[in-house]
Amino acid sequence: MRISVMSQMQQRSFSIDLPSLVPLQLPSRRETHLWYILPDEVKSTSLLNRYSQLLSPNERDRVDQMRGDELKKNALLARTLVRTTIARYQTNNAVDPGSLMFKKNMYGKPEVDWQNCKDCNKQPLHFNISHTGSLIACGVTVHAPIGIDVEDKERKIKHDVLTFAKRFYTADEVNFLATKPDQEAQRKEFIKLWTLKEAYVKALGKGFSASPFNTFTIQSTPGTEGGYSLCKTSELTANPMEETEKYNGGWKFTLLELADSHYAAVCIEDDEVNEGGPMKVIVRRTIPLVEDQLISERIFL
Amino acid sequence: MASLSATSLSFKAPSIQSTRISQVLRKPSSFQSISFGRFQSSKSLRLQISCAAKPETVQKVSDIVKEQLALSADTPLTAESKFSALGADSLDTVEIVMALEEKFNISVEETDAQNITTIQEAADLIEDLVQKKPAA
Repeated sequence: MRISVMSQMQQRSFSIDLPSLVPLQLPSRRETHLWYILPDEVKSTSLLNRYSQLLSPNERDRVDQMRGDELKKNALLARTLVRTTIARYQTNNAVDPGSLMFKKNMYGKPEVDWQNCKDCNKQPLHFNISHTGSLIACGVTVHAPIGIDVEDKERKIKHDVLTFAKRFYTADEVNFLATKPDQEAQRKEFIKLWTLKEAYVKALGKGFSASPFNTFTIQSTPGTEGGYSLCKTSELTANPMEETEKYNGGWKFTLLELADSHYAAVCIEDDEVNEGGPMKVIVRRTIPLVEDQLISERIFL
Repeated sequence: MASLSATSLSFKAPSIQSTRISQVLRKPSSFQSISFGRFQSSKSLRLQISCAAKPETVQKVSDIVKEQLALSADTPLTAESKFSALGADSLDTVEIVMALEEKFNISVEETDAQNITTIQEAADLIEDLVQKKPAA
């Protein structure tokens, strides 16, 4: 008992010393806020220690289970990013990021547990996180489930890309990859598709088993840059390109590049009212509690 | 593999709009078999294969994992090592499974592939599949 009181006291004194997070308005509907950290930019041990204070004991345990210092650091940064990002949107009163509580839905997807958080007001916030060794991202929306996935653009696939795709993707996606002029172009498109498909499964939040990759096709939407749409395999005709305008499946996809080094796919549930309408993505780079930088604001059709 | 197939459910997702309702109706036991490995959930209650895998199998799996994740040769790996703790993401896991398929000449179901979270689980699944292959 005494130990937990002490750590609470420690947390309070830390929150007085730390610069407070710049509060932000919630994203509006059809707007996604995408935050990312570049682990290489976070080197200070004292800063990492401050981050560690924000985590719950369970989270610290899981960070410790990671094998190797770099993996530990990235796991710490990932939890820090989630906590500090969500805490920013508490516009009524400053919330200590350390006081947020999390739970999992019945399939294991993490969510904010507003009821058990003492200082929070319930927000209709949805979030999802993704990380690679060199970039960690967190996407936030309001009222719409979200899934994101990031991947290093240069990530090498150890297997032959087409063999891999035949095993896991749909026939239409394999055909699309097969049209690419060389192996490098195939690899790039494979990675992009992977991030899009992952983002969808994560947005659905029901686990990989609920939507195996070979049950849905994602293809780029003609006339858009970075816009993609979803088709269930059973609905594709002989010419898949003709289908892209018809059925979006109720999910909105965008693909962008972060820090010139990573593909980031964002998938959010389409708003019934605005179905098919544009989606705005605001990207910010952050070193939590130190600096935030607005990178871009883009509208995706 | 009748008993295994009962626990590794593959959901044919009905149209997206109806899935929210059907979630509520699912019996509790039906989600225990779904692993959500990338979210580091507590391990799902998988049907346990009866015998633990041979040490050689575990070693072969470890070698493949080390290669896929580019771990140094002296990285300590045990049978209980979790792929996620070694830095594997879902793409790594799938590549590991493909490498295991090639090495052991087996075929892993997609849902089983995503349910593998440790070296021991991979080794157990491999031995089970190898054992069930029709004699050459």
